[in-house]
Amino acid sequence: MASAAATRTAAGAAKIVKPIFSRDVDEAKRRVRELYRAWYREIPNTVTMYHLDITIRQGRDKVREMFDKNKNVTDPRVIDMLVIKGKIDLQETIHVWKQRTHLMRYFHETEEPRANDFLSKFYKGHDP
Amino acid sequence: MLRLPSVGRTLAGAAKGGLAPANPVRAPARAASNMVEVFVDGKPVEVDPGTTVLQACEKAGVQIPRFCYHERLSVAGNCRMCLVEIEKAPKPVAACAMPVMKGWNILTNSEKTRKAREGVMEFLLANHPLDCPICDQGGECDLQDQSMQFGSDRSRFSEGKRAVEDKNIGPLIKTIMTRCIQCTRCVRFASEIAGVEDLGTTGRGNDLQIGTYVEKMFMSELSGNVIDVCPVGALTSKPYAFTARPWETRKTESIDVLDALGSNIVVSTRGGEVMRVMPRLHEDINEEWISDKTRFAYDGLKRQRLTQPLVKDGSGQLTPTSWEEALTRVAGALQSVRGSEVAAVAGGMADAEALVSLKDLLNRLDSENLCTEEVFPMAGAGTDLRSNYLLNTRIAGIEESDLLLLVGTNPRYEAPLFNARVRKSWLHNELRVAMVGHQVDLTYTYDHLGEETSVLKELADGTHPFCQVLAAAKRPVVVVGSSALQREDGAAILSAVSTIAQNARTSSGVEDGWKVLSVLHRVASQVAALDLGYRAGVDAIRKNPPKVLFLLGADAGCISRADLPKDCFVIYQGHHGDIGATMADVVLPGAAYTEKNGTYVNTEGRSQHTRVAVTPPGMARDDWKILRAVSELAGVTLPYDSLDEVRSRLAEVSPNLVRYDDVEGANYFKQAVELATMVNQDLIAAPLVPPQVSAKDFYMTDSISRASQTMAKDLRFALIVGFKFLLYVSITAKCVCVCVCVCVDVVSESCQWLKRS
Amino acid sequence: MAEYANLLRRAWGQIRGHGGVRGLLLQFFRVNDLKTGALVGVDKYGNKYYEDKKNCFFGRHRWVIYTKEMNGKNTTWEVDGSMVPAEWHRWLHSMTDDPPTTHPPEPKKFFAEVHQFNVSGTPQQYVPYPTTRKKIHEWVPPKAGAQ
Repeated sequence: MASAAATRTAAGAAKIVKPIFSRDVDEAKRRVRELYRAWYREIPNTVTMYHLDITIRQGRDKVREMFDKNKNVTDPRVIDMLVIKGKIDLQETIHVWKQRTHLMRYFHETEEPRANDFLSKFYKGHDP
Repeated sequence: MLRLPSVGRTLAGAAKGGLAPANPVRAPARAASNMVEVFVDGKPVEVDPGTTVLQACEKAGVQIPRFCYHERLSVAGNCRMCLVEIEKAPKPVAACAMPVMKGWNILTNSEKTRKAREGVMEFLLANHPLDCPICDQGGECDLQDQSMQFGSDRSRFSEGKRAVEDKNIGPLIKTIMTRCIQCTRCVRFASEIAGVEDLGTTGRGNDLQIGTYVEKMFMSELSGNVIDVCPVGALTSKPYAFTARPWETRKTESIDVLDALGSNIVVSTRGGEVMRVMPRLHEDINEEWISDKTRFAYDGLKRQRLTQPLVKDGSGQLTPTSWEEALTRVAGALQSVRGSEVAAVAGGMADAEALVSLKDLLNRLDSENLCTEEVFPMAGAGTDLRSNYLLNTRIAGIEESDLLLLVGTNPRYEAPLFNARVRKSWLHNELRVAMVGHQVDLTYTYDHLGEETSVLKELADGTHPFCQVLAAAKRPVVVVGSSALQREDGAAILSAVSTIAQNARTSSGVEDGWKVLSVLHRVASQVAALDLGYRAGVDAIRKNPPKVLFLLGADAGCISRADLPKDCFVIYQGHHGDIGATMADVVLPGAAYTEKNGTYVNTEGRSQHTRVAVTPPGMARDDWKILRAVSELAGVTLPYDSLDEVRSRLAEVSPNLVRYDDVEGANYFKQAVELATMVNQDLIAAPLVPPQVSAKDFYMTDSISRASQTMAKDLRFALIVGFKFLLYVSITAKCVCVCVCVCVDVVSESCQWLKRS
Repeated sequence: MAEYANLLRRAWGQIRGHGGVRGLLLQFFRVNDLKTGALVGVDKYGNKYYEDKKNCFFGRHRWVIYTKEMNGKNTTWEVDGSMVPAEWHRWLHSMTDDPPTTHPPEPKKFFAEVHQFNVSGTPQQYVPYPTTRKKIHEWVPPKAGAQ
C-alpha cells in the first residue's frame, strides 16, 4: 500500500515540474520574442560600439539565425534556460564586457571544418 | 691477463646444464633427489646443485649488487661487490662465484654484508673520478646507483686518484679509462660473445688497465654491446656522447629492420629526434645484443631524407611540389596505361602494410607484376611452399642442433646475431660447423668444404666425405644464405641444398618437429613480401619492361634506367634519396622504420611490428597511407582507412602476419624436395662468394646505413687503422729481420774469428 | 572687421612663408599641416629644420620639412622619420636647445658618413634565423644536367 502511494506521488511529481519562469509554451514564446526584440534593437548600437566590419543587416541576420537554431525546442523550461543565456549574452554585449573577437566568433570566419575523409586528412597532416 | 677460461667454461656449462636440461624427461626425477635447499635471509629456496649463491638469491627474489658478474658471460669474481655473509662462514664470500652448499643460510642484509659492500664501494670509488655530471653514463650507471644504495657517505681516502690514458678503439666506442673499475666485462664479452680477442688487461693491482695492447680498432660487428655491458662510464657511445641524458629521452620499443633478424630495439628519442638505439631483450632472437649497424646507423635516419614530394619538371629536374600535384601525376600515369604495363618493385625495408596496399592497388589495376628486389628461385616449389624460404630451425634452434652446414653465406655480416648464436652453441654445446662457400673469419672454427658448387653436388649425391658426418648428426641444420640464391643458378643451389637437408634428415632419424633446411635472408621485408605473394626477383620486369614502374623503397639498384624503355614513368616511394629516387619521375616521401607502425616478418617467419618513435619528417607520410591516397585518385579506392583495417586485410591475406611475436611454422619439406628435383638447371662452376665478405661490406648495405656518417666513419677508420696496423707489423718485421741479420752477421763473424784464432 | 583683417594677414603670412600658393599647396599635401617659422638650419641632405616658439605649443614648435631626394631615393611623397640624421634628431626632439649649426657635434668615429634609412619592411631588413643544427637533412636531388 505504502509503496503504491509512493509511486503515485512520484508519478505526480514527474508530471508537475517546477517552472523556471514560464508556466506554458505561450509565455515562454513571449519571453523569446522579448529577447529577440531587445537584440534586434541593440544590433546597430553594437556595430558602432565594437567597430564591427559588418552591416546592421548582417548582424540581425545572425541574431535570427541563432534564434532559428533552437526553433525546435518545445519544452518551456529549456526555452527559459536559453532565454536566460541569451539575456546574459545581451548584457555582456551592451556593457562592452566583450571584445570584438568574441562577437566575431559567431560568424566562424577563421574556423576551418575538420577533415573527415581519408584524402583531405592525408593532405592535412601526419596523424589525421 | 685476468681471465679464467677453463673455470669460466665449466661454470657456464654447468649453469647452462642447470638451466636447460638436455633431456627434459629425466629432469623431474633428478630434481627430486638432487635439489639443494638453501636459505636466503631465512627463506628456504630449492636450487640445482652447482648454482651460485647469487643465482640462488635471485631465485628467492633478492638482488645482490654486482659489477663484474653478467648472466651471459663467464664468472670473473673480481669486483667483490657481491660479497655476502654466509652464516657460520668465517669470511664473506663472493656470491657470483661460490656454488651453494646444502643448508647454507645466506644473509644478504646483515651488518657484515653491508659493511663488506660499503668497504668494497669505498675502494672502487678511491680511484673513480667524481665526474657524474659530465659523464654520459650518468643516470644509468651501475656504480652511481649502487654507491647511492650501498656506499658510505664519505671516503677516508685523501690520496690522489689514479689516472689512465684513454684508448682510441674506433669511431663507435668512446673510452674514458680513468672511469674503469676493471670489472673485465668488456674483455669477456669480446672473447666469449664477439669472438675477437682484441681486448685484454695489462698490469697488475693499481696499474691494471683494459686495452687493446697496441693501438688498433675493436674490430667486431657486435662491438657496440660493450657500451651496455660496461657498468660505469668507461665505455660509452661516441656518436651519442654529450647529446642526451637517459631521463630526458622517450623510449619506444621497436624492431630493427637493417637485417633480416628483426632484433628487438628500444629507440630513445628527444624532441622528435632519434638520439640512440639500444637493444631490448628477446631470448629467441637477439638475446640482449644488437649489431653495430642496428645501434649506430640511426644518424642515417636524419640525412638524405625525402621530406617533400618531388616531381620532374620540363627540364628533367626534380622539384619540390605539393602532395596534391604529385599524387595527381601518379594517379594520371597509372590510369593512362593498361594494367599489364604497370609493375612494382618492393625494396628491402618495406613494411607489410605498404606491401599489401601496393599489391591491392596493382591488382585492382589488373596488374600482377609485383616483385621484390631480393631474388629467390621460383623454379620447383619456389615461394609457393613457405618452408622453402624460412629459417625453419629458428635462431634459438641452433642451440639444440649438433651440426650446422652453412652454404654460401657469411652470417657474421649478413646476420651478426645469428652468428653470435652459432658461436654460443659452438662454445657451449659442441656444435660442429661446416661451410660451403668463401672462406671467411666467422669467429669460430669450422670445416671448410670448399667454395665450388661441385661440393654441393657431391654432398647431395652422397659422394663427399663429409656426408658421413652429416649422416651421423643427431640434429643437423643446413642454412643457405639468400645471397647464394641471387645467382643465376639459384634454383639449382636451392634444389641441391634441399636434397642435402632431406638426406640429412632421413639419416639422423630426428623427430618430426625438427626442421633441417633453413634460409638466411638479408633484408627485413623479404619474408613478408613472399608471404603476401610477391614474386621474388626483377627478371619479369627486365623481360617485359613496363610503362609505369612503382618502386617501393627499392634502393638496391636491381633495376636501372637502362633496363626500362625511354618513356617509362618511374615512381619512387621511400624515405631516402638514393639510387631509386635518382631515377624516378615522381618521388613520394615515406616513413622510415622509426616513424611508422609497420609489420615486419623476420627470416624465421616471426611477425613483429615497429612503433612510431618520431613523426615522419616534413611532408612525409606513412607508406600505406600514400598508396591508399594514390588508389583513391586513380579511381580504385582501397577499402581501408585506418591501420587496424589494413591489418585486418593483412590477416585476410596471411593470418600469420598479424599474430605478433609468434612463429608460424612451415612444413611440406618432402613435397618441396620432390618439386625441387624437377628443376633442370645446372650449377655454375663459379665459386660461392657472399657479397659481404669483409667489414667493409657490412656497414653500407641499405639506404639508411649508406646515409649514415657514423657507418662511413667506422669504415674509414677501419681502413686507416688496418693500414696503420700493417705498417706497424711490417716495421716490427723489418726490425726483427735487421736484428736477425745483424745477429747472423755477428755470429758468423765471431765463428770466423774463432776459426782464425 | 578686425577679425577678417587678422585672417587675411595670417593667410598672407602663410602664402608668403611657403613661397606662393603653389608652395603652400605642396606643403599642405606633403605635411598635412601649414606652419611657418624660423629656418634654424639645413642638413647636408637638404632637410630643413624650423622652429616657431611663439605660435606653437611645446612639442610642436620644431619640425622638419624633408628633402625631395635623399640617398638616391625620391622622397617627395614617401617621407620617413628615419630621414633625420642623428645630430638633428636630438635638437628636433628637444633633447637639446643647441642646433648642430651653432654647436656641431664632436666628431666620433662611429658616426655614419651617410645617414641610412630604417630598413624595416624592406628586403634589406634583418630577419632572425636559427643557428641550431638541423634535425633532418633533406635530400637534394641531383641537377638534371649532371646525370
